[in-house]
This record gives sequence, C-alpha cells and structure tokens, in this order.
Amino acid sequence: MAAKIQQFDPPSSASSDSDNGGEQCLEDREVFISDELAEDIERYQRSNGTPTPQSPRPPSTGSQKSPRSRRQRTTSMTQSSKKTSAESILRSKTRTIYTAGRPPWYNSAGQQVEPFVIGICGGSASGKTTVAAKIIESLDVPWVTLLSMDSFYKVLNEKQHAMAAENEYNFDHPDAFDFELLAATLQRLKEGRKVEVPIYNFVTHCRENRTKTMYGANVIIFEGILTFYNADVLKMCDMKVFVDTDADVRLARRLRRDISQRGRDLEGVLKQYCTMVKPSFYYYIAPSMVHADIIVPRGGDNEVAIELIVQHVHTQLQLRGFKLREKLAHSYIGQPLPTSLYLLPDTPQIKGLHTFIRNKSTLRDEFIFYSKRLIRLVIEYALSLLPFKEITVETPQGVLYQGKRGATDKICGVSILRAGETMEQAVCDVCKDIRIGKILIQTNLHTGEPELYYLRLPKDIKDYKVILMDATVATGAAAMMAIRVLLDHDVAEDNILLVSLLMAESGVHSIAYAFPQVKIVTSALDPEINEKFYVLPGIGNFGDRYFGTEPSGED
Amino acid sequence: MGSGDTATVINKISSDSGNEIIEEYGPNLRVLPTNNQVKELQTILRDKNTTRSDFKFYADRLIRLVIEESLNQLPFSKCSVTTPTGAKYKGLKYQKGNCGVSIVRSGEAMEQGLRDCCRSIRIGKILVESDVDTHEAKVVYAKFPDDIAERKVLLMYPIMSTGNTVIKAIAVLKEHNVLEENIILSNLFCTPFAAKTLVTAFPKMKILSSEIHHVAPNHFGQKYFGCSYHGVTGPPNAPMKNV
Repeated sequence: MAAKIQQFDPPSSASSDSDNGGEQCLEDREVFISDELAEDIERYQRSNGTPTPQSPRPPSTGSQKSPRSRRQRTTSMTQSSKKTSAESILRSKTRTIYTAGRPPWYNSAGQQVEPFVIGICGGSASGKTTVAAKIIESLDVPWVTLLSMDSFYKVLNEKQHAMAAENEYNFDHPDAFDFELLAATLQRLKEGRKVEVPIYNFVTHCRENRTKTMYGANVIIFEGILTFYNADVLKMCDMKVFVDTDADVRLARRLRRDISQRGRDLEGVLKQYCTMVKPSFYYYIAPSMVHADIIVPRGGDNEVAIELIVQHVHTQLQLRGFKLREKLAHSYIGQPLPTSLYLLPDTPQIKGLHTFIRNKSTLRDEFIFYSKRLIRLVIEYALSLLPFKEITVETPQGVLYQGKRGATDKICGVSILRAGETMEQAVCDVCKDIRIGKILIQTNLHTGEPELYYLRLPKDIKDYKVILMDATVATGAAAMMAIRVLLDHDVAEDNILLVSLLMAESGVHSIAYAFPQVKIVTSALDPEINEKFYVLPGIGNFGDRYFGTEPSGED
Repeated sequence: MGSGDTATVINKISSDSGNEIIEEYGPNLRVLPTNNQVKELQTILRDKNTTRSDFKFYADRLIRLVIEESLNQLPFSKCSVTTPTGAKYKGLKYQKGNCGVSIVRSGEAMEQGLRDCCRSIRIGKILVESDVDTHEAKVVYAKFPDDIAERKVLLMYPIMSTGNTVIKAIAVLKEHNVLEENIILSNLFCTPFAAKTLVTAFPKMKILSSEIHHVAPNHFGQKYFGCSYHGVTGPPNAPMKNV
C-alpha cells in the first residue's frame, strides 16, 4: 500500500494547521482533513488491502470501550485504487493527512447532479461494511460518501444508560435510532448540500459536541441494520442491497469479535444475542429483505454480486452526466457574449495596466503594483453593479441633494485561493470592515479536474451579496465549483458577483450558461485557452507571478 | 503608469458620458462616467451628517477614480509584449515626462491618489489665497519641477465654484512656459459656471470632473483636513471660502 503513496505537495492552507487560530469573524469552516479520517486511513494502510477499518459493530455495552471511540465509520473517502489515491494521501512526520479535494458534484451546466444513493442493509455482523468498501474500491469514481446508521443512535437517558451497562438496552430495535434526523440528513446529502453528521459516543451514549461535516458526493453509500425500515429513507435509496449472511456465520463472527477483541464474556454476548439481536433480526431486518433490489449472499466474498452492482452504478452515473473540464473548454465557440458579462470600459489606462502585467519580463515589484491598480478598478466597477436606492441628503450648503446609497450593507468577499487572495486587499480598501471568506480549489494534476479542499465562509453567508474573486478564469471550472459551493450554502444566485482580472471567452460562456444570474465582471476577455488551460495571450500563472513561486528554470 | 515613454498617439477618449456635455462645454471637458457607485460616493461627500473619518475614506475613493480617469487623458503609444505563455499581447505604453501640480490646500488631498497610481511622479505646488478686502485671488507660492515646460501637467483641485483659483494657477503655469494643451485639470465637483468659464478661458486644456452641479460642496477642504480656516491673512472667524 505504501507504494501508492507519493509525496504530494499540499496547498499550505489545507495542511494540518487548520485547526487553530485565525478564527476572527469567520465561523463557518470546513477542512477536508480530519483526525478521524487520517486515522481511518492509517488503519486502512495497516490492514493492507482490506480497505475499510475493521470497525466494531454497535456494541451492546460501552463499558469495555476506551473513551476515544474508534468507530467513526461515517467518513467520506475516495476509492483507494490506481490513479486517484496516489495524490490523495500525504504522510507527514507524525500523522497521515488525507488531502483529496472534492471533485465536481455537478454537471457541465453547473446543475446539481443527483447523487446515486446505495442503501445497504443486513443483519449484525453480516459484512455490510465489507460490501460497501468493495463497492467503493471497484467504483471508479473519485468521491464517495459513506454514511453509517450508527451515527444516528438516540441519546440515552440515565436509566437506559444503566440498562446498556447490563446488556439490557436494545440497540437492535428501531426505537434506538433517530430516524427523523437520519432522513433529513440523507435528504440534504442527496440534494448535494452540506450536512453536519452527529458523532455518537458509545461510552457516554451521547452525541459529541463536534459533528462531522459531509457533502453529497457522486455516490452516497448508506449502510446499517435497519436501512430499509423507514419508508422515507427507503424512498431515497436508488439501489437497495441486502447482505444476507447465514445466521450461524453472523453469530460466530459476533462471538469472536466481542470476546476476543472486546474482552466480553460468553454469557453476556449470548444473552444479548438471544434476547435482542436475534429477535430484532427476525422481526425487523429479515422482513425488510423484500425491499431489496439485490440480495448478496455471503457478503463481501461475493465478487460476482459486487461486480454487478458496480456495473449498474456506472451506467447510472454516466446517464446523469459527470464530466467536466475538457467539456467546458470546448463548448460555445462562436456564441454571442452573455448578457451577464460586465466588461470594464476599454480605456487606455486599463490597456496600459494589462500591458505591464502581461509582459513576461515585468519585474515582480511592478507586476504587483500594476496588478493592484487594475484590481482596484475592477472592484470599484463591480461594486457599482450592486443594488442602490435613491436617497435625499442635506448638504452643509443648505440645499438638498438627490443621491444614491447602497441598498445593502451585507456584502462579503470570497476569494478563491490562491490567486483570488490578491484581490482581497482592494476589497478591504473600498468596503470598510468587509468579511472575507476563502475557498481553496486546486486542479488535480492527474485528472485535470478541479477539487475542493478548504472552505471558510461567513456564518450567515446566505444573507450576503457575495463578491467572488479569482484573478483569472480560464475554463471556469474552479469558478463554477466555487459558485456551486456558495449555492449549496444557500446564497441566492443573483447575489453572486464573480470578479476577475482576465477571463477566457469559453470560461465566461460556461459560467454564464450554468449560472445565468451570476454577474461576471472582468477587465479583459481573451479568446483562447491552451492545452494547459492557460488563457491566451494571457498573463501566465497569476498566483505564481504575484507571490513569486514560479518554478525555477522558467522565466 | 503616468510616466510611460514616447508618444505617437494622442488619446481620443470615446465619450460615453453623453453628448450634452460636449455640446455645452466642448470636447475637452469630460465627466467621469457616472454609475451608482460613483453617485453613492458623491452622496456621502455631500451629506452633512457624514463623519470626518467616512468623509476622508470615501473622498479618497472618489479621488482615486478621478485620477485613474485623468491618466486616461495622457498620451500613449502602441506596443507589443510577450506574455509568459509565449503569446503576443498588443498593448500600449504611456509616455514619460508627466508631473502633478496640486493647488494648496484642497488639491493636496488628491496627491496621495496620484502617488498610488504613479509611484515616483514629480509633484509641484501652487498656493493661491484670496485677498480679504478685494476677494481677488493671488498666487503666494509656487514650486515646480525645473523642466515643467516640457511636461504634461496634471493639475489637481477638487472643488470649483467660480474657477478663479484655477485660473490664477493656470496663469502661473503659463508663466513657466507650460503649454495650455499640456494641462489636464483633475476635479471632483464643478459648477456649470466654473466649467463654462474655464473652457472659454482655456479652450485647449483638458478638464476631468466627477460631477457638474450648481452647488459646490465648499466644505471639502475643511472636512477632509479637519481644520476650519487656513491662511495667515484672513480673520480668525471668517467663513471658509473657496474662490
């Protein structure tokens, strides 16, 4: 497994320092790295070839568990195969960090593509997780969200807590689960929105204060013992898989696991099995088999069944149309420019500034100076596109003056790292005390697709006019992802202004077609994009030139 | 950018701010293309309830826009550069040999805006005071770069109600052999009277303003700098007057 790990230079803001400091006014943040995830991956690497952590079943008693519960199976993970895993794992000195970004979850028209939801049901110790892992393994999609029913256990009261300690609380009964929250969570994931999944602590039987942020992905796998029990949840599953493992095998696994791994005694395990696990299986789980589209006997060992499932999912995904950058770059040739495009008036100043910053022999000092001037003009222009209202003010000269005022104070900036950050200063210079959010999107060098790594937005961003900043827009893939993120955070489409120094025509078309209400502001429009997705004649890599990180050996 | 190099083309600005201005004042007076944003800035500056800190903040923003637009009036030449992608970009270059001249005191408010655009530009100053008795404007101080006669001059003065001060200042520039057609006057607020006076007196000079309105916000210098009366000759409590 170690052979698959290659050094991947992570964007600095996405590295492990993300958990401390720098909070200030920005509360809502997500980092696509987490300790649990890193831990999972470590375990995954140890287990070498069995991709999923050997997570314990829902224990009937928490007394033997260590406080740091290891059973956080609710994680988003990439398929761990051939090409994408290579750059998705980073090993630092002390920890393993998962750095894969979130690839596009929408089609080239920017529309949310509904994720494909696979529901996996089966009795305790039937091998549901193994089946889920094998599906993830075989599916050649970059981003899969795995949601486990274990996250939705109800919070226990004191009495129930005591019962649990005596092996008498029934964790296998439908009443043990919060189906309402479960259905709502799955529904949001299916809509591609962000959700906060509770983290259930099996020692205290409470939800922990922190939650796990998850996104809808191309494929969502939802697994649990009562996956098919609730009608609402059942309706959301596009494919229903039942893992049917012989009762003897399940009991044998359970005994081995509970006794040898958790140090429990035979009596207790059998008592729990006979009084709760087994009856629940026959009352609630086995009858739900009628809902299944596919029944997989023998669980994870059944390669034929898994192969069939994967083929079906592939067909479905293709029908839904996940694709992106390449397609964006080659559409809309020769179309008239969209009406949502606001190009700065073509004055000699702007042209002169462009001459400076496009010239490859301009020194960085001058490059920064002239970029800043141009950025300021672009931002001033962008602000004029916000809504205004008529007002009358009294002047010191004693006459009234018919003027205008901005209709809203709720304006925030969001920069797309890294090049977009260069525009933050100008926004701060013209809007007092403006809040600035950040989104890190990086191009995956192997697939050429943009991936989302890091996000930090003002808390009530849905109420804001958002000035979304990126220095250059070529295919528009990163900008579209950022817009999609904003929409997923409930920002209204017509509240978004995409502001940029330079755009390629094709990028403008893609964005305008996908998000017709987003205002697109730029100071220049270039006709072409080269095979490396740079704009022509272009500026080169704006971020590298501004921050001085050009690869050595190049001009 | 104010200081580019050789000039072959004199910039002809396409006027998008309406033909009325041209009909009224001729082609050399230009008003900053107005939009809601500019209007908001002007509103804030005119509002008597605006705090000083806000006043300065928004004045600086408007100044920056006016300066950027004034620089558009400078001559430039075409040129072609190679971009980092190896492609050619047909751009343009500004001519070298420009300078700024501010009219003390309110004109100095615009110096920083010019500096922010042209880092090392030379800036001259003229102090014009009005005589207490006759109300006649007279020049009491002027300091320019030695070779100002060969330069394009960006003359900065934010508020013009009668135009008298500017007329005196231009007279001084002419005494230093600056050509009238080499002067660009940058201004924020101008009355129709001052506009008419100036285009009549100096038909070859270019003027850029952000607004032509019959009431001039004469409190500008006072509020921007936060000192009520300037000058050593006037009575201590005389109302501030922009000549």
